[in-house]
Amino acid sequence: MAYSEKVLDHYENPRNVGSMDKNDPSVATGMVGAPACGDVMKLQLKISDEGIIEDAKFKTYGCGSAIASSSLVTEWVKGKSIEEAGEIKNTAIAEELALPPVKIHCSILAEDAIKAAIEDYKSKQSK
Amino acid sequence: MNYFQLFNIEASFDVDLQLLSSSYQTLQKTVHPDKFAHSSEQDQRIAVQKSAQINDAYQTLKNPLQRAAYMLVERGVDMPNEQHSFQDTSFLMRQMELREMLEDVRHSGDVEAALLEVQRVLSTEYLALSQQMRVQISENNAASNSAACDNLRKLKFYQKLNVEVDRLEDSLFEDE
Repeated sequence: MAYSEKVLDHYENPRNVGSMDKNDPSVATGMVGAPACGDVMKLQLKISDEGIIEDAKFKTYGCGSAIASSSLVTEWVKGKSIEEAGEIKNTAIAEELALPPVKIHCSILAEDAIKAAIEDYKSKQSK
Repeated sequence: MNYFQLFNIEASFDVDLQLLSSSYQTLQKTVHPDKFAHSSEQDQRIAVQKSAQINDAYQTLKNPLQRAAYMLVERGVDMPNEQHSFQDTSFLMRQMELREMLEDVRHSGDVEAALLEVQRVLSTEYLALSQQMRVQISENNAASNSAACDNLRKLKFYQKLNVEVDRLEDSLFEDE
């Protein structure tokens, strides 16, 4: 199955690949995996005291669609509040990347990664 | 009739693979197309369907992860949807490390040794998880079945990694 141009663009030039210090209190880490295909996705957000996402990094092992979904998400969340980022839906990711039905789970993984990162941030804050 | 009954073997995770294989061959002979050469079209079709069912059952019981999944589903365990994302952070961190390790093989001074080391680490961790799952399946209570489910999902990540290892091995040594 052919990938869409947008998927190929993100796959060939992934944005914001990298890691941050997961022990930094302002860094939220979301780890998610998909047993069906063995994909593993790590999304890290640097969050200001005001709750604004200043930076985002990802590292994903998986297919082109999973890499593109996480790459796109890092672009989208920057500058957003954590509440706004938490509202990003997989359907929007799938639509933007023109993912075929069999690759929808890659966009779900990216949405879940944002949610997991926000959870991580909240649990860090409550400590 | 469940798959174990079909092959007339004990319903246990520790399947006797030789027994399974011989029972499979015996069954397949009973539905072999040659036997139905002079039968009605309908009987021929039924025989083909049966042969496919026997084959499915055999493949399922032969493969340990498929066998585990089959046994858990048969027990009515609610298997989480495969598409459902998995969020055990420490496990996934380890998966990242293993994938990074695999990525580094190519750039290692001694590629062969590095590859062997990855394979050793993977098989050790796979074995530990599958031993746990084996015990949990044999315990067969609500808690152990759900723990077995969890381990089954983890093992799938290793299965995927092993495919990647094979692919890497092929690409590294294909010219030799």
